[in-house]
Amino acid sequence: MMPIILFYIFAVILLLSAVMVVISRNSVHAALFLVLAFCNASGLFLIAGAEFLAILLIAIYAGAVMILFLFIVMTMQTNLVQLKEGMQHYLPVGFCIAIVLVVELIIVAINWHIDPNVAEAARQPLLQNMSNTKALGSLIYTNYIFLFQMAGLVLLVAMIGAIVLTLRKRPTNRRQVVARQHMREPNQTLEMRSVELNKGVDDLGGYLRPKETYYGIAQEDSFGPKPGDKMDITEKRQEREQSK
Amino acid sequence: MQAILGNYLPVLIFGVISLIIACAMLGAALFCAKQKPYAEKNSPYECGFPAFEDARQLFDVRYYLVGILFTIFDLEMVFLFPWALTLSKIGMFGFFSMLAFLVVLTVGFIYEWCKGALEWD
Repeated sequence: MMPIILFYIFAVILLLSAVMVVISRNSVHAALFLVLAFCNASGLFLIAGAEFLAILLIAIYAGAVMILFLFIVMTMQTNLVQLKEGMQHYLPVGFCIAIVLVVELIIVAINWHIDPNVAEAARQPLLQNMSNTKALGSLIYTNYIFLFQMAGLVLLVAMIGAIVLTLRKRPTNRRQVVARQHMREPNQTLEMRSVELNKGVDDLGGYLRPKETYYGIAQEDSFGPKPGDKMDITEKRQEREQSK
Repeated sequence: MQAILGNYLPVLIFGVISLIIACAMLGAALFCAKQKPYAEKNSPYECGFPAFEDARQLFDVRYYLVGILFTIFDLEMVFLFPWALTLSKIGMFGFFSMLAFLVVLTVGFIYEWCKGALEWD
């Protein structure tokens, strides 16, 4: 009795929140209603006996995927007026996609029939001493190894695709290269000059400063003088004297 | 099936209790507290200037990159759970099939490390 009551509670909240996802104006609210829908769906999975899937739904969908949804919402243009600007323009394309989706749904609904073996399989009791997760584990890694490895490749492609699409070098990059930093020795970047009393540093040919080579090994697109830049103090002094 | 549900009864009780507490707090604030709103009180700051623009701004796409990389390793973690439980049954074959899976993802991990996708600079 209890599972049936819980089923109806979860199902009703699931459907209501799914409707709210569609009709809510604020896209952040829609995303949060989607989280509610996922949580209720995981309750339904629990009632059906699929506890691993239930936990997975919360860990992956309500946790990780929802973060992505929220990021997409945040990176989107938030101004409703600007959002609706392209409405007229994209309406025909959207309409075509909607028609394709409806046709697909109808095709699926026509051809869909319940496998007669399902009713029998559902009546079979769960394996003794075999939890849901163990039952999955004993199949995925051996019987379905090719699908499993395909999943790994899909994840790899997703990883590389995300990096290629979103990672770009900025002109303000000042990335630290730890190895280079450790390779550097003090005499590569600094030099010691002895300064006599009552005499300016200028007479010695300049002031203490990092050597040019220090900038030479800096990142290509970083700030600071480039290797070719004129940095010798004597040239600048000559220019100054000429201008006098 | 009933045995599994019995294990999750505490979770349900926790959920119901948290729902009751949240509703009680919101409801108490709604019904018991005196509410006399007026324009000044409803403004974002009672003193100071109103906000110049909408608080919602465009985010840097790098947040999205971090999120997607997190999701991928989250999925990898999901695959590890059943493997860890059944390692004694699936034998060397299952062990090495998971190792191959991990090697593939490690290639991606090395790629993103070398690309500098994990650094914020």
